[in-house]
Amino acid sequence: MANIFPKWSNQLPIQLLVAGSVVFVSLIAGMWYYFTPKYTRVGYQPVQPVNFSHSIHAGQLGLDCRYCHSQVENAAHSNVPTSQTCMNCHSQIKQNSPLLAPVRESYKTGQPIAWVRIHQAPDYVYFNHSAHVNRGVSCVECHGQINNMPVVWHHEPQSMSWCLDCHREPENKLRPLNQITNLNWKPEDEPPGPDGKPRTRREIGQELKVAWNVNPPVTCAGCHR
Amino acid sequence: MKHVFQHPPETPSPTGRKYWRTMGELNDTPEFRSWLEREFPKGIDELEADGLSRRNFLQLMGGSLALAGFGMSGCRRPEAYLVPFAKSAEWTIPGHNLLYATSMPRRNGALPLIVTTTDGRPIKNEGNPLHPVSNGGTDTYAQASMLELYDPERSRTFLLAGKPSDAAAFADGMTKLRAEAQADGGAGLAVLMGESMSPSRERMRAELQKQFPKMTWCVYEALSNDNEREATKAAFGTAAMKVTAKFAKADVILALDSDFLCVEEGGMAASRDFAARRRIAVSTDAMNRLYAVENRYTITGGMADHRLRCPASQIGAVTVALAKAIADATNSGPLTDMLSTVPATEVQKLEKSLPWITEAAKDLVANRGKSLVVVGANQPGWVHALGFAINGALGNFGTTLTAIPTAAPAEVPLAALVEKMKAGAVKTLFIFGGNPAYNAPTDLNWPEQQKKVSTVVRHGLFEDETSVGAKWHLPAAHYLESWGDDRSSDGTYVAVQPMILPLHGGVSELEVLAALAGRDKIEGPQLVKETFQGIARNVSDEAMAWNTFLREGFLANSAAAEATATFNPGGAKSYLQANFKSAPVPTADAMEVVLTPDYSVWDGRYTNNGWLQELADPITKLTWDNAALMSPATAKKLGIKILEEEIRDGQGTGLNGDWIEIVVGDRKVKAAVLVDPGHVDNSVSLSLGYGREVVGRIGLYTGFNAYPLRSSGALYFVSGAKVSKLADEPHVFSTTQQHYNMEGRALVRELPLETYREHPGFGEDGRSFVQKFGMDSHIPPSVSIYKHPPLDAKQQWGMAIDLNTCTGCSACVVACQNENNIPIVGKEQVRRGRIMQWIRMDRYYSSATPQDEDPQVMMQPVTCHHCENAPCETVCPVNATVHNEEGLNVMAYNRCIGTRYCANNCPYKVRRFNYFDYNLRPLDQLRWGPLAKKGMAETLQLSKNPNVTVRMRGVMEKCTFCVQRIEEAKIAQLRVARDSNNTKVPTDRIKTACQQVCPSEAIIFGDIADPNSTVSKLKKRDLNYTMLDYLNIQPRVSYLARLRNPNPKMPGAAAVGMSTLKDSPGH
Repeated sequence: MANIFPKWSNQLPIQLLVAGSVVFVSLIAGMWYYFTPKYTRVGYQPVQPVNFSHSIHAGQLGLDCRYCHSQVENAAHSNVPTSQTCMNCHSQIKQNSPLLAPVRESYKTGQPIAWVRIHQAPDYVYFNHSAHVNRGVSCVECHGQINNMPVVWHHEPQSMSWCLDCHREPENKLRPLNQITNLNWKPEDEPPGPDGKPRTRREIGQELKVAWNVNPPVTCAGCHR
Repeated sequence: MKHVFQHPPETPSPTGRKYWRTMGELNDTPEFRSWLEREFPKGIDELEADGLSRRNFLQLMGGSLALAGFGMSGCRRPEAYLVPFAKSAEWTIPGHNLLYATSMPRRNGALPLIVTTTDGRPIKNEGNPLHPVSNGGTDTYAQASMLELYDPERSRTFLLAGKPSDAAAFADGMTKLRAEAQADGGAGLAVLMGESMSPSRERMRAELQKQFPKMTWCVYEALSNDNEREATKAAFGTAAMKVTAKFAKADVILALDSDFLCVEEGGMAASRDFAARRRIAVSTDAMNRLYAVENRYTITGGMADHRLRCPASQIGAVTVALAKAIADATNSGPLTDMLSTVPATEVQKLEKSLPWITEAAKDLVANRGKSLVVVGANQPGWVHALGFAINGALGNFGTTLTAIPTAAPAEVPLAALVEKMKAGAVKTLFIFGGNPAYNAPTDLNWPEQQKKVSTVVRHGLFEDETSVGAKWHLPAAHYLESWGDDRSSDGTYVAVQPMILPLHGGVSELEVLAALAGRDKIEGPQLVKETFQGIARNVSDEAMAWNTFLREGFLANSAAAEATATFNPGGAKSYLQANFKSAPVPTADAMEVVLTPDYSVWDGRYTNNGWLQELADPITKLTWDNAALMSPATAKKLGIKILEEEIRDGQGTGLNGDWIEIVVGDRKVKAAVLVDPGHVDNSVSLSLGYGREVVGRIGLYTGFNAYPLRSSGALYFVSGAKVSKLADEPHVFSTTQQHYNMEGRALVRELPLETYREHPGFGEDGRSFVQKFGMDSHIPPSVSIYKHPPLDAKQQWGMAIDLNTCTGCSACVVACQNENNIPIVGKEQVRRGRIMQWIRMDRYYSSATPQDEDPQVMMQPVTCHHCENAPCETVCPVNATVHNEEGLNVMAYNRCIGTRYCANNCPYKVRRFNYFDYNLRPLDQLRWGPLAKKGMAETLQLSKNPNVTVRMRGVMEKCTFCVQRIEEAKIAQLRVARDSNNTKVPTDRIKTACQQVCPSEAIIFGDIADPNSTVSKLKKRDLNYTMLDYLNIQPRVSYLARLRNPNPKMPGAAAVGMSTLKDSPGH
């Protein structure tokens, strides 16, 4: 009786198994990477209606974040400045720049500028800026070095596990309150410890955590209501 | 093997006295048994009758999923925008709540409010705790008025002869109307308004009166205090006075058909002061005593220590008997003199009730100067006059009764206006608010008379019965949208300020009056400011005074100085003589019909309010309907089934209501019957405000209209009614009384004050007398086999509810609904037990025997108990409900997959499941699946609290202890703490929505780990107990047992407050 299956088919199960595993693993790996906020959110850099550069304002000019985001210490939402806030300076500086035309237009007509939203927590998440910036968490921890960004992009994944990393170990992210809006702050800038050696980020954080009684919520109701 | 927890069997009560919530439970019918055993009402989880089986639902869903896949639209990131103001707005912080003081204009005096606004839209009303007559509480109507503001069916446009018009056209029309009116000095001009004490309105009236001296100014309310006012005028010789009861000073109170604990009737101060005298700190404290005489159960009757069932028409006779007893005991000349005009036969009608009245009178006399007799607004004037005389004889004037001066009324009654209309003398009629075409007494035949007026200008929130046929209809601005002012019940001058611009371009009453007076269009508060300057004289800094007025919502020290009430015996006597009318005792052939205000819709003005429609009546637990209430005995006589019957159409547990016809003279009304334990025989109570015909979708086809029975001569009760049963198919009622039954395990506990005094404190086992009631007297607590996460936060939240002051008014239920974005579900869904309200107000009757016709009533609000060993958490397969470190049982909506295991395992039955997308679908299209209109009305979107997730279909929800308020307070404290370790929220800083609204301060929330918090102190009281303690689930909500203060000499005193006590074999 003739062989029904040619000889190469002896290898087939193994080949199929290997190929199958490769497909399966890459599928999982692909989903792991591409379907998570690390990929879907980080790097999102939409075109804004006004070509505003944080790197000029907050970086070169050294404007404090709170000049424009004035209510970040008082409210859950960190407000985007009104056109009036822009005009505080730009009524005198670069009065006729064509780049600022939309701002002047808005100030004149009262029609607000629709900035494209970059960081957006889902509706069922109740994030509160004031709870963080008043307690030693700097802007940079969630937004990256905005002061170096000509156009803002999404810097951190801001996924739930990313939030929890810090809520579980806040000592890694705390800094003195007077350095909150100093996005270039480094632990070395702080005075050294009693032994004269510079303290690590974690050591500084640990000290502040104990002194300030920092105890971030890690159960659902902290963020979901 | 499946392990079923067997509750220990209920101990049979030695006396047979027990607690019950329904007639079926009382009689232990098979239907009731099956409810109990089903755990949830039939129909709650069945899709069959929905015309959609589980299988074809899945098919449909599969299909739509596949279709949805084609577009792959889910893969694109939707672009969202941040839209800041162009110019910075003062005080506005995006996302931050702003509070403003205002007040809600009400018939009996405005209710001072603090309104929470968020991003420019009001979302929640709270009472103004700074105001002298408020404790920061409000009531159901004030809470639900928030929904009224956002009602998508509010009137939106000016209408000219039914066709859309605009404000400019009306301004032209107004010029013509003014010219006409000026021509005849206002003889053809009439203005009809609701009751109000607004000084600005009064100022406008005076201005109009000057311009149009012959104008007719009429004030009409369907439910008014006219009877009392008339009696006041006769008894004190002046109409510019209002007699006010001071419940804080009264030791013994007798309520004659008076529902003073209903805030709309008695005012906020009555509830607050009554509760203050009810609450005791230690067992030796004194407590007030309340006697109530009424025909049906009201919340006041439910709070009473002694209650006499009496037909409303015979309450006059009771007053006479009481007056006689008091006159004899006090030798009061004026009272004896007054009584000489009343025939002696009046008292003889009462025979059986006489011992009750005599003993109550003795108690009142024994507490001279500290007693109080209050007469309900619906009793005729002569009863009020007699009531004044009784209070006079008891020496109550100046102590428990004071008077404040009011503006002398300048209006004519409705009947006088109708006379003019009949004669054709009225050419232009302005109707502000109210709804006379629906609720004017039938003998006035208002709809016909209205047609005789050539120009009717109707100003209303809704297009209703009165708008029909009116030449002009003007959309009214809601009180939250307009400038105004008012006086609260004590005469304090209060502000009404807008929280938002009129949503639909409405105009306020004052604006229209100003236009009528020929003023230019008024801008903002101009008119009110003028009035303010007239009232706040001698202020050094006017701008500052005005700002303070707006900031605090009232003008300090502007309350009317107390007037001396000099009782005028002669006037009272002649008034009594002229007006005394003996009503026949109702019999089976000639019954009385009592037309009562409705706890949900009042006189019909709130009929289109979904929150109020779905709010169960505090006593009958009826939703979306009114009903002809009658006693079981009367129902039996009429051949009406008195037991609830399960509707056997698979649609849940509605109640069958047999139809009756009520015939009074030539007037007939058809209504369905609900048997009401505690109702007096041969009397039918039918609440007003339902059965409206021109109303929005919420109010349409709800209930039965009782107004046709009303005539000028008999506004509140009608005698000689023929009532007969009709053979029609029974009407189906949706009540919540049989939802979530828990078999009697001393869930509610009460005891007489004396018994409590005999057993104060804690026993050797560390438990108090009250803690050993029922099952807890002999059953050892279970042991938890689960490990629970540690409750290690510094602050631990808990709640104590004082059953001793809870009246059951249900304001907490509506406040919770508002605060937590809880949807309404509609009558048919309520019937299936799918009501979403997070607080369930349980009403229990207790009676000695099933035949007992005088059951007592107890109220118990039940919400999530946040058990430390929560049974719901252990059964959730996806950890959607877990504990947090502060002892809250939290719900993560996004994790919930809707298995409903948690609801099954909850011993208190407080979890609510979203069977449909109640928030997004119209209630009549719930079952249309993808075909239904999707999305919330735009105005309703504005009404939602942004700090609480709006839940969708398939998600379980329940009370969160207002976690948003807790987190808000914690974060506020973090802002204060900054780089210090002071992160503890200050003691008693957080108030839950239900706590804040409670007029009698019965709900206390706080940190139980803090020994100084109010809640910790309450939980240490010997009256404190937890429900189902033996389950060892460690609930965080506990109750303080109810105390009753019976007078041992009263008939039936031995049974008062003894119900749970006798059921407790441990005692």
